[in-house]
Amino acid sequence: MYKWFAVKRISKGIVMYALLILIFSVLFNSVNETTMRSQIEEQVRMESQRLKNAKPGDIQRFQAERKQTLIKLYKLDRPMGERIIFRTVDTLTFNFGKSTNIKSSAGEREVLTIVGEAIPRTLVLFLVAAIFEIGIGIMLGLKKAQKPGGALDRSSSMVTMIIYGMPTWWLAMIFIMFFVYGIKAFPSGGMHTVPPPEGFAYLLDMVWHMVLPLLTLIVIGIWSVSFVIRNIVLGTLQEDFIMSARARGIPENKVLYGHTLRTAAPPIVTMSLLSLLGAISGSIIFEGIFSWPGLGNLYWIAVQQNDIPVLMADLAITTGLYQAGLVILDLTYGFLDPRIKVGGKA
Amino acid sequence: MSVKDFGFWLSDFWKDFRKEKSGLIGLGIIVLAILVVILEPFCLTWKDANSKWGDISYWQDNSASAPPAWTNIFKAKKSAVTMRLENGKVEEAELDGGVKMVSTSFDYTFKADEPPLDLVFHCRGTGDNVNVLLSVTRPDGQTIELVQRLESGLNDTDIRLSAENDGREALFAFLKSNDTEENTASISADSIRATNILFAKAQEGMSSKFEPLKGKYTITAQSMLINPETDKFEKPYTVVNGAVSGVLGTDTMKRDVFSGLVAGLKWALLIGLLTSFVSVLIGVMYGIISAYYGGVVDSVMQFVYQIFTSMPVLPILIVVSAVFKPSIWFIIGVMVVFFWTGPVMTVRSMALQIKEETYIEAGKALGASNQRIIWKHMTPLLIPYSFASMALSVPSAIVYESSVSLLGLGDATIVTWGQILHDAMQGSAILNGVWWWIIPPGLLIAILGMAFAFLGFAMDKILHPKLRTR
Repeated sequence: MYKWFAVKRISKGIVMYALLILIFSVLFNSVNETTMRSQIEEQVRMESQRLKNAKPGDIQRFQAERKQTLIKLYKLDRPMGERIIFRTVDTLTFNFGKSTNIKSSAGEREVLTIVGEAIPRTLVLFLVAAIFEIGIGIMLGLKKAQKPGGALDRSSSMVTMIIYGMPTWWLAMIFIMFFVYGIKAFPSGGMHTVPPPEGFAYLLDMVWHMVLPLLTLIVIGIWSVSFVIRNIVLGTLQEDFIMSARARGIPENKVLYGHTLRTAAPPIVTMSLLSLLGAISGSIIFEGIFSWPGLGNLYWIAVQQNDIPVLMADLAITTGLYQAGLVILDLTYGFLDPRIKVGGKA
Repeated sequence: MSVKDFGFWLSDFWKDFRKEKSGLIGLGIIVLAILVVILEPFCLTWKDANSKWGDISYWQDNSASAPPAWTNIFKAKKSAVTMRLENGKVEEAELDGGVKMVSTSFDYTFKADEPPLDLVFHCRGTGDNVNVLLSVTRPDGQTIELVQRLESGLNDTDIRLSAENDGREALFAFLKSNDTEENTASISADSIRATNILFAKAQEGMSSKFEPLKGKYTITAQSMLINPETDKFEKPYTVVNGAVSGVLGTDTMKRDVFSGLVAGLKWALLIGLLTSFVSVLIGVMYGIISAYYGGVVDSVMQFVYQIFTSMPVLPILIVVSAVFKPSIWFIIGVMVVFFWTGPVMTVRSMALQIKEETYIEAGKALGASNQRIIWKHMTPLLIPYSFASMALSVPSAIVYESSVSLLGLGDATIVTWGQILHDAMQGSAILNGVWWWIIPPGLLIAILGMAFAFLGFAMDKILHPKLRTR
């Protein structure tokens, strides 16, 4: 049963992704084609420079012919509908073409390489932050739920609201100003010192560079996580089996982390994944403040250098990651809560 | 729901709301913000900040990156505050041959320990023979003639005379006459700071060490109008350009940060309120229609809903702004496209319950149309919920717009807080520690967000009694 649920959910995710890419292709068709045409022009000019011995007439003929072949190759001469479908298929098969300016760390201009090397960096940052957020959030949330309306509950709920509209990137700026230029404890940005050290020091160096971005994400993130966990756990704590566990003399910590958390696990997992997805869709550009070379930073660079292919690929990949996150969300929920997959409509 | 019913509902709501302290704080902040927007002309220290934010010449008389004036409190040596002297004392005299002498004098009391950075005189001149002589009378009785200028071919043109640009020669001469020859041997008119001499005690060693001469300075601008019929000398004012300036200082482009923030407030409110209002209305209606009709309509609408929820908002917003270079209205429109999904699911589940109520059935039996049932019987019950939802989606709209502006993709014709922060990033304010340029805009975004969060959570608590702490 679960297998079918999984297959259905995954294929639905893929269909949804294809649909989104199609929408993007329609939306950004004209700008994509303008970039393509100018790239073709540039390529033809580069190639004709190599023909040093040819006569001027030959060069012109060569240029015209070459342009025609390339336009045909990229299907720019086909009707609009076909072009859009062609571009959608290209994007879905990760055939992003070449960037106009940006180069990967190895100096390549293949867009897939540029975006590809940014993915793990973004994932590592946001996943580690999510782990910390959820860990601290669970502890704080349980403490809040133990005494609803108590001093801790009220004060931390207040902080949740105070921080509600605070942009992550602004806090990042403040942290950089204080920790980097004020007390000079951390590097101002990037992922490694240049040149990066070898071996174990490499890892340490990366952690040192990661502390400040992580701190920013965690300081913003834990409050809402703990607030939601408090609301989830609050109901469970009123259940009879908790009271009976307490009556049996089971230590309070075991009641909290064993009995309560176990029961409340499915919604907590959902909420954690949702907050991770929310961070990706909402505060990804904060990477730019730390020049953390992930997907978010790539938006900054692509916008500044007006590199449309990279921008589009970045969007496609971010959307893909987001979509994958939603699928994983449903799959884990179905796994943790057996009731979902039976009645669940995929 | 009639107006009278709404009135009753509102007074009921207010009774509950009054008990929510945080909600009242939030409401207070929002009311204050709206008051500031209404009274904007009185709050702006630079009146044309809205239209001339990107105009360098409008801000040219300010000092760049000046900290706020109140930072003087924490300094042992007080810096001079930027001041604009207007309404000078005007004296007119007729000379022989129809020549008119117009002189305007401004009093400036210097009481800081550090000299101002510059002294700038402005006026508007018309005609072919406008002669302006700028002189300063110091508290010790000495008068320095800073500069004399003859302008021609003017047509209500701005004349700008500054001590730093035009008064160097005169001040160097003044320095030489007061200090010993050895002390002045190594310096020239180009290497001095004009105001360091103008506001210093005239004594030996003044070329190397600044001793403030405190007291009343009189800045006089004399203009000789050869032909008073056609030549004019109007609207004179003087700016004493201090090292500290205004409520929140200036940025590297000499703009007054406080004015920018006040000018940006109305846009923040507009973006937040308009986006949340339109999108929540759409979302509530969408949820109701989806639940009421059910069946195929529901399935299709749910599918469309799922397409929208599976898009990451900010990345798409960035790419759309980068490609289409939109105006603020377009950005608001795009945000509405993503924000309407917020209340849909909750409203749909609530509407599914309401749909089964007997009075809906009775309405149907009486032959009420679908529209009548939706508008008269279902929507009024769900409107209160949408208020809380609106308040809670305001902060994210503001944050998204400022994120887009931070990348430099905002509407360039207006001033928003995000754009101020973008400029701050560009001007490497973080590196240079220009905190008065970075902290206030973000803090305002956070405070406004907090106010709406307070309001929204308080409303949610009242309108959704289930969520109350047990």
